Amino acid sequence: MTAEASPVLAIRDYSLAYHVAERKAEVLKSVNLSIARGEILGLVGESGSGKSSLASAIMRYLPRNAEENSGDIFLGQTDLRAQSQRAMSDIRGSRISMVFQDPATSLNPTLRLGEQLAEVLIRHQGMSKAQAWREGEERLALVGLKTPAEMMHRFPHEVSGGEKQRVVIATAFACNPELIIFDEPTTALDVITARQILDLFTELQAKTGVASLYISHDLALLSQTAQRVAVLEKGTIVEEGETAALFRAPSHPYTRALIDAVPHPERSLAEASVNASSGPLVKIRDVSVHYGRKSLFDSLLRRDFKGVAGNRAISLDIRQGEILGIVGESGSGKSTLAKAMTGLNRFEGLIEFDGRPLRGLSDMNRDYRREVQIIFQNPDASLNPRQKISEILARPIKLYGSKGHATVRDRIEAMLERVRLPRSFIDRYPHQLSGGEKQRIAIARAFLSSPRLVICDEITSALDVSVQASVTELLMELHRETNATYVFITHDINLVRQIAHRIAVMYRGELVEVVDSKAITDPDRAPYTRELLAAVTPPASTRLDAILS
Amino acid sequence: MIDFLRRLLRTPQGILGCLIIAVVLIAVVAGGWVTPYGPEDMQALARYKAPSATHWLGTDQYGRDILSRLLDGARSTVAMAVLATFIGTLAGAVLGTGSAYLGGRADEFIMRTVDAVMAIPSLLLALLVVSLLGSNSWNALLAIAIAFAPSMARISRSVALTVRKQDYVSAAIARGEGAGYIVLREMLPNVIAPIVVEMTIRVSFAVMLFATLSFLGLGAQPPATDWGLMVSEARQYLHRSYWILLWPSAAIALTAIGFNLLGDGLRDALNPRT
Repeated sequence: MTAEASPVLAIRDYSLAYHVAERKAEVLKSVNLSIARGEILGLVGESGSGKSSLASAIMRYLPRNAEENSGDIFLGQTDLRAQSQRAMSDIRGSRISMVFQDPATSLNPTLRLGEQLAEVLIRHQGMSKAQAWREGEERLALVGLKTPAEMMHRFPHEVSGGEKQRVVIATAFACNPELIIFDEPTTALDVITARQILDLFTELQAKTGVASLYISHDLALLSQTAQRVAVLEKGTIVEEGETAALFRAPSHPYTRALIDAVPHPERSLAEASVNASSGPLVKIRDVSVHYGRKSLFDSLLRRDFKGVAGNRAISLDIRQGEILGIVGESGSGKSTLAKAMTGLNRFEGLIEFDGRPLRGLSDMNRDYRREVQIIFQNPDASLNPRQKISEILARPIKLYGSKGHATVRDRIEAMLERVRLPRSFIDRYPHQLSGGEKQRIAIARAFLSSPRLVICDEITSALDVSVQASVTELLMELHRETNATYVFITHDINLVRQIAHRIAVMYRGELVEVVDSKAITDPDRAPYTRELLAAVTPPASTRLDAILS
Repeated sequence: MIDFLRRLLRTPQGILGCLIIAVVLIAVVAGGWVTPYGPEDMQALARYKAPSATHWLGTDQYGRDILSRLLDGARSTVAMAVLATFIGTLAGAVLGTGSAYLGGRADEFIMRTVDAVMAIPSLLLALLVVSLLGSNSWNALLAIAIAFAPSMARISRSVALTVRKQDYVSAAIARGEGAGYIVLREMLPNVIAPIVVEMTIRVSFAVMLFATLSFLGLGAQPPATDWGLMVSEARQYLHRSYWILLWPSAAIALTAIGFNLLGDGLRDALNPRT
């Protein structure tokens, strides 16, 4: 009973601040947390809430400009704050381990997977090299890899993302630690792979009884995995409690806002389906995209050249005024198609836009460029950091000519108001804006040319849940105002079911099917569509509703 | 800007580099006015004088005051070196960024040409240009600019290749911008930081290359006060009065070191992550 009473991890009254340019930025404010043996504590918060700083504080791996208060961090009976760096390096990996978000960057690309796994065993368990290698193979079998012996000899680039994350998890579990910190371990993975990794995690967790701190921004996911959830807002834990109770009756307004912001497929935002009789705006016929280029050397030697296929003979109609969602895993060719339609990729085949045929990039004249606009995923990358908002937004006006007698500046300010941003932003640089504000600027840039087709390429996936909801709302509002046709590319199936009229499913460069978004759950859908839907975590409250009813 | 200066002055290289460059710049700007004697005033009675209270750095074979000549020569030597580097860098940066933007065959063609030019040592190339165009300071400047452009093109291309993949460039292409706008307004401002650092380091090479050309008689012509030319002329009197050679050599070395240090400081200041 005493073992039950003393938690594996206990954080008491812990605060953390960073010194930035002679100011103190507080990241964590008197945090209290405890995790018992065998428990999964979910830590949820938006970007900048201090989730990762908390993980670093537990791992005792803080940057030099960090300043802590007198709070405690205990691992069992060990006071982690009293440990020297040397003692900590014995604890890390053996008593606490960590699984990071992106397995592609957390594994060393120049070392074999086996070496990276065996190293932990040699370092902490004092095994010989041969012993560690054998043990490593067993561990890899444990995380569900089918050919562990072969896997040990491979380099990270030779295996898939899911397999890499399995190796990282095997490494984390290698020394039977007391505590494992998971920092968004499935965010960088595809829906189906993420589901498999999650299943593996719950299975291993149940088997080993390790205490876990599961950091995520995905409420739906936490509602399925964690027993208790703590909500972190700007460094303060605003609410903590049993998962079911917390989702059923959130007491703090922030938690409620977070839960409400999650997209629900049932709550449709799109208006009643568009008039199907109006002809298609875009007809895509047998469009294929190949990457790579025949080199001069190859053509000299008359060698055959085969590019990598990004799209294979896609045929698709996009109706006037509709919102067409395109879903699929990464690498399924969603973005490739978007790039072909906006003239960023060479393509073979025919795209017909409003009756005008386009067979290649040279057919895309200024009118086409004006009428078809693309908004990219990451506003940090799509806005030039060296240009002011005024210059960024003036370009479409200057390129396509301004209508009426309003000055360029007036039109930009009017547009800023339409995307719900203050007029004063016109003289700012992108880095002075938040992520959501930047994405609004990118949306404003697209709509300044009064386009008829807007391609949204994963535009909400780099944003926090609550910001995501407001950006989606803005897009729907602009849709009602302008009646522009949208192509909405995303991997978030809950979101796309909420806003799209029709959904196109893509897999490995091919179009699987196009279905009405209401009919996507029908049992007679293509097998891949069903697999994709099964992997999606339903939004937290829906699931709880189902449990309660 | 103030934040940037503070970061620059925080490193020892930055402070030292700035100090040296400030001294050199004062000589460049005010050198002509503060000279105690005219740079070409000959004093028949004061030839080969060692440094003393009247002639701080001594006099040369014609009795000209060396300090005056050094101060006067700062303008041509340093200003020309900076100008040559600037022209070479700008040409190289535009070429490299443009090449990265065009990609494919055009990129291949430009870069292989650049490789071919780079295979010729820069001094040899400069000699070639000067001997073709005739020897004077402006041709030497052009020669150095041409000699510097290829390696700058390589550096800026490698940076521009990563910028090329950014979505803001894709966005510009998708809205149908011209190549000129994309290269000059979208890409170049984002590749400028490493280029500025490289440029400051290059300035010291240019000072030495200028000195070498003048030394070989292909740059400035006597009685100009170019530092390289002064070294070249002083060579014959090395055994009789070494200071005639020493001071201009020291001035060249100091300037080169100053720009090198400034370049190191800038590299750290422009990259806040390090």
